[in-house]
Amino acid sequence: MTSASETTPVASRGSLLGARVREAGWGYAFVLLPMAVFGIFFIYPLGYAVYISFHEWGILGKVQGVGTENYHTLFDDPVFRRAVRNTIVYTLVVVPLEMALGLVIALVINARIRGRVFFRSAFYFPSLVSSAAITAIAIYILNANGLLNAIIGSNRSWFGDPDTALWSIVGLNAWTTAGTVMLFYLAALQAIPTDVYEAAAIDGTSRWRTFWRITFPLLKPAHFFVLVVFGIGALKVFDQAFIVSGGTGGPVYSTYTAVLYIYNEAFKSANFGVAASAGVVLFVAIFILTVIQRATIGRTEIG
Amino acid sequence: MTVDTSVAAAEPYVPRRARSAVLGKVVLYGLLVAIALLYFVPFAWSVSTSFKTLPDTANFNFIPDPFTTSAWKSVWTDYDFKRYALNSLFLAVVVTALNLFLCSLGGYAFARLRFPGREILFLLVLGTLMIPDQLRLIPVFVMLTNWHLIGNFSGYILINLVTAVNLFFMRQYFLTIPKDFEEAAKLDGAGYFKTFWRVMLPLAAPAIAALAILQFQGTWNDFFWPLILFGQGNEDLYTMQLGLAQFTFTYQTLWPQLMAGSLIAIIPILVIFLIFQRFFIAGVTAAGVKG
Repeated sequence: MTSASETTPVASRGSLLGARVREAGWGYAFVLLPMAVFGIFFIYPLGYAVYISFHEWGILGKVQGVGTENYHTLFDDPVFRRAVRNTIVYTLVVVPLEMALGLVIALVINARIRGRVFFRSAFYFPSLVSSAAITAIAIYILNANGLLNAIIGSNRSWFGDPDTALWSIVGLNAWTTAGTVMLFYLAALQAIPTDVYEAAAIDGTSRWRTFWRITFPLLKPAHFFVLVVFGIGALKVFDQAFIVSGGTGGPVYSTYTAVLYIYNEAFKSANFGVAASAGVVLFVAIFILTVIQRATIGRTEIG
Repeated sequence: MTVDTSVAAAEPYVPRRARSAVLGKVVLYGLLVAIALLYFVPFAWSVSTSFKTLPDTANFNFIPDPFTTSAWKSVWTDYDFKRYALNSLFLAVVVTALNLFLCSLGGYAFARLRFPGREILFLLVLGTLMIPDQLRLIPVFVMLTNWHLIGNFSGYILINLVTAVNLFFMRQYFLTIPKDFEEAAKLDGAGYFKTFWRVMLPLAAPAIAALAILQFQGTWNDFFWPLILFGQGNEDLYTMQLGLAQFTFTYQTLWPQLMAGSLIAIIPILVIFLIFQRFFIAGVTAAGVKG
């Protein structure tokens, strides 16, 4: 603070160097705490997770090094295989569903409807609400005596039936997430130049054809962005599966997801080593998707 | 908007489209009504149920008969939702304040101060975006357990002190502020921290406000980390979402209470959303444009 007065006059070489050093010193001081937290709670755990995954590790800590045994245990475990299968099936279905619903809503909002600002907010709102609250409401509406059954005349317990439990989570999350997808599509739709549509209208092209031949292909960057970002999100599905099944992944493993497997291995079975190796596998899967996204987005921006 | 005016403007050129335009309107509003029902009915139904008595939930009347607020009262007092709300409010306020302070401080340094290794450190920050919470979960839990930070709030606060997204957006915002302000402050003899605290931070208020709202919402809604850190037998630390999930497991068929509890978890976010809508929508769109 006192030294600031030295920098105000036109500085000689020596005090200029001093000012540089002082600026760098303050720079380090400013980033010290943030970088310490990033280092301790983000970067170091990445390596520590890999380290734990090569050890037998219980609730009291490290037991012994076991090489790649945890990974063998993991891939031989029918519960893990089921969890991976559920997660992949879930992702493959929920993402296209979110995209379709999000795009339809975006198209409706983007048309000249009354109260479009209101509807845009209303359809986006569920995306902002906690998963625990939305899941509780879904449990209520989808229970055997719930509103859905009263409307369609059924008596199925949607989350309690192994044939429908996972699909109910798919429906629930597509419903919630479509609002966010809608916002991305709206932004992309509004970026399409209007002269494209003028030309189509003059040619007398039908709306249906205009959509499939012009709008849909022009949305390709948005499709890709949504696919990858929400695909990664879908691989991490946990909250809803945990809450509807009470943490069991049931009925009969039908809602057991990859992250639920990590959680249960750690906190139910105290196999931190196996849980960490499942975390590493999930990380690799997500990493590959992210690299594909970065590579392809770079290309679409250039091309 | 612009897209459609162009289609409409083109209509006079092709008169035979008049009938299809009417049909288009019907399809459009039909879809809108269907989507609106799909999105409004679940919330309306949960509000209605929260004012019902338990026997009345067996009927599918929309207007509660009799109308009662007893479910709201009972979750608030008998079932600890008051404590859950206070815990969540405390964590959301503390995490938001500390996180935004540190992310502004770091963001400012990365935007404006020159020091060797700046670019590498910044890349490291961005790199943390690639590390999913689901991988950090085991090592972070082990570390916090070893440091005895599981049985209280400090572990949760510590791991949420910074986020790469907030730091990144603060840096981007500081880059847009003209340098004149800092130079004027320097001429007045202000040091680096004073310049940051008294000059730059107030100038960055719009960005801080937007990020604070999103951070508050994220912390209030967080289920994953509270479950990991407080879910192993620390009921007095339960947050709103954790308490609600626990209530869902234990009292699943007390529907009026479950709906009242869910709505208590939703209402703060609804209020914030109604007041600050544009921040939420702009935030998502910015993320989309950035890719």
